[in-house]
Amino acid sequence: MYRYDEFDQAFVEERWKQFRGQVERRLKGEITEDQFKPLRLQNGLYLQLHAYMLRIAIPYGVLQARHLRKLAEIARRFDRGFGHFTTRQNIQFNWIKLEQAPDILNELASVGMHAIQTSGNCIRNTTCDPYAGVAIDEIEDPRVWCEIIRQWSTIHPEFLFLPRKFKIAITGAAEDRAAILFHDIGIRIVKGDKNETGFAVYVGGGQGRTPVVGSRIRAFLKKEQLLSYLEAIVRVYNLHGRRDNIYKARIKILVMALGIEEFTAQVEEEWQKLDKPSIDLPATEYERIAKYFEPLALKPAPISDEQVTKRRASDPEFNSFTRNNVRAHKVPGHVSVAIALKEPGKIPGDASADQMDAVASLAERYGHNEIRVTYSQNLVLPNIALGDLLKVYDGLVAAGLASANFELITDIIACPGLDYCNLANARAIPIAQDIARRFSRLEKAEDIGHLRLNISGCINACGHHHAGNIGILGVDKKGTEHYQITLGGSPGDDASVGSILGPSFPAEELPQAIETIVETYLGLRENPKETFLSTYRRVGKEPFKRAIYDNEPSNSNGMSDALEKV
Amino acid sequence: MPNFKPSIVTANLLRSGDVVYLGANERWVRELESALVAHNENELAKLEEAGKRAQNDQLVIDVYAMDVDVKSGKPKARSVREIIRAAHGPSV
Repeated sequence: MYRYDEFDQAFVEERWKQFRGQVERRLKGEITEDQFKPLRLQNGLYLQLHAYMLRIAIPYGVLQARHLRKLAEIARRFDRGFGHFTTRQNIQFNWIKLEQAPDILNELASVGMHAIQTSGNCIRNTTCDPYAGVAIDEIEDPRVWCEIIRQWSTIHPEFLFLPRKFKIAITGAAEDRAAILFHDIGIRIVKGDKNETGFAVYVGGGQGRTPVVGSRIRAFLKKEQLLSYLEAIVRVYNLHGRRDNIYKARIKILVMALGIEEFTAQVEEEWQKLDKPSIDLPATEYERIAKYFEPLALKPAPISDEQVTKRRASDPEFNSFTRNNVRAHKVPGHVSVAIALKEPGKIPGDASADQMDAVASLAERYGHNEIRVTYSQNLVLPNIALGDLLKVYDGLVAAGLASANFELITDIIACPGLDYCNLANARAIPIAQDIARRFSRLEKAEDIGHLRLNISGCINACGHHHAGNIGILGVDKKGTEHYQITLGGSPGDDASVGSILGPSFPAEELPQAIETIVETYLGLRENPKETFLSTYRRVGKEPFKRAIYDNEPSNSNGMSDALEKV
Repeated sequence: MPNFKPSIVTANLLRSGDVVYLGANERWVRELESALVAHNENELAKLEEAGKRAQNDQLVIDVYAMDVDVKSGKPKARSVREIIRAAHGPSV
């Protein structure tokens, strides 16, 4: 993993000290809230429904054990003992006091972390494949490029006040596990005609109120030209993106207005004018950064392990865990272990301080100190020797983290919704809990197979509902929470935006509606291997629509119970 | 003013972010039921002025007025959002 040099470290140190001064001046009344708000947002500090929320950057979702331990410490000392992993591979703390925020940034700086550019109209955290560097289908490790983009985009003077926020994602693998086509810029590492490595670049993807799948702007870009090309794209956007209407300010709107051909032409023209040698990274600097991401010296070993095989035969839960949460590693005899923060009934993406410490310990003992955060709000231990898998699994069981439902219907992406968020129209968490409880029997969830179910509490789509095979959007209908269902979204290589099924449902009717959709799929699929998405694409929306709207859904009162408690 | 809906003034404390309501004697209270209810435009204008003063004194931020139902003489939140805010924590 990349380690800060003296300049990086000095910068984050200086930044928290600056913020302490700004907070002091605010508390004394020397600056107004209007003057202070942009300063706190530049340090990731939002005011939410109940308290301040601090969003901390986890560059490209890569953590070392010491970072996770620090996050656990912050959860205990400054929050209520837990944190929430986000769909940008970051973490949020929900119960922060303004006076303590500078102390938290100081603590973070001590391990080279910060909250810079986790808010505001700037280039946000670049996200990437959680299996970067270990995946068997990888061309090249995208983390090197994520780090290069991090360095290029951090307080880039030209790009700190863009028309709107700007998100970049990279994948280096054959399978897109970073949802690159739903980003302002999506980058895929590819091979050129002469087998040289370069990039396919996509632009103008995004979710929110105008969901768009990105368009390819360049089929092959030489890798040494990445930064100047990115600079040309962001410059064209910065010059011509709309600033008069927040809902039309993202790059996707500009790309749609101009058309991809014209936008591409403008980028190419701008790119020709740029002083590329002053922007593009010299080979020596690339090599310096790449050294931090050199593969671990893992010793190849047999791809099966007697103890693991025995336990699989005798322990059905471990067998399911192995099937769903464990992936092959590029070094034989090793695996990557996904930790689903999605136990049915729990809050998606939340982890307690004790759980963070437990994962950090497992990473230290068996995982070469490394942890990844996925955009689906889960964690991954990327480097585990197969011979240590049982110890890791038992450690996860002890920490309450052995949920074997990774990438199944109960592995729901959900934003904080109206339980925490100032922008939300409806709650997302209790909906996720109600649905997950319905499918909590693992056998059932495994029979349903791969199914991405995503929930957002408002049209800003932090819960990626547009990209869900089943998407749920919370809306406010005359003061009550209603939920609109979309079907057929996909975040992967076959990216698509979900299509609205029909009129929305009140919360208490929603779990039954979802169950009806799933039962309809099970009845329609050609064989158990045909996924929900494949079946949907084969048969279309109509059978689902008929199943839902021709029958009156029965009631589930989970949400009403939750509101009663309030 | 037949169309006036009973209203209260709410905000978040600057230091902690806690949800508070403007009560009697310009005191900020945690319980929505203890908020002072304005029954007409004039009363609401006074509450809003007090809110502005507290904002200028660095006590609160994000001050706004909200409609309430009044039951047994006490204000009650009407929207899900305000019910959740008044509970000082999530519904789950």
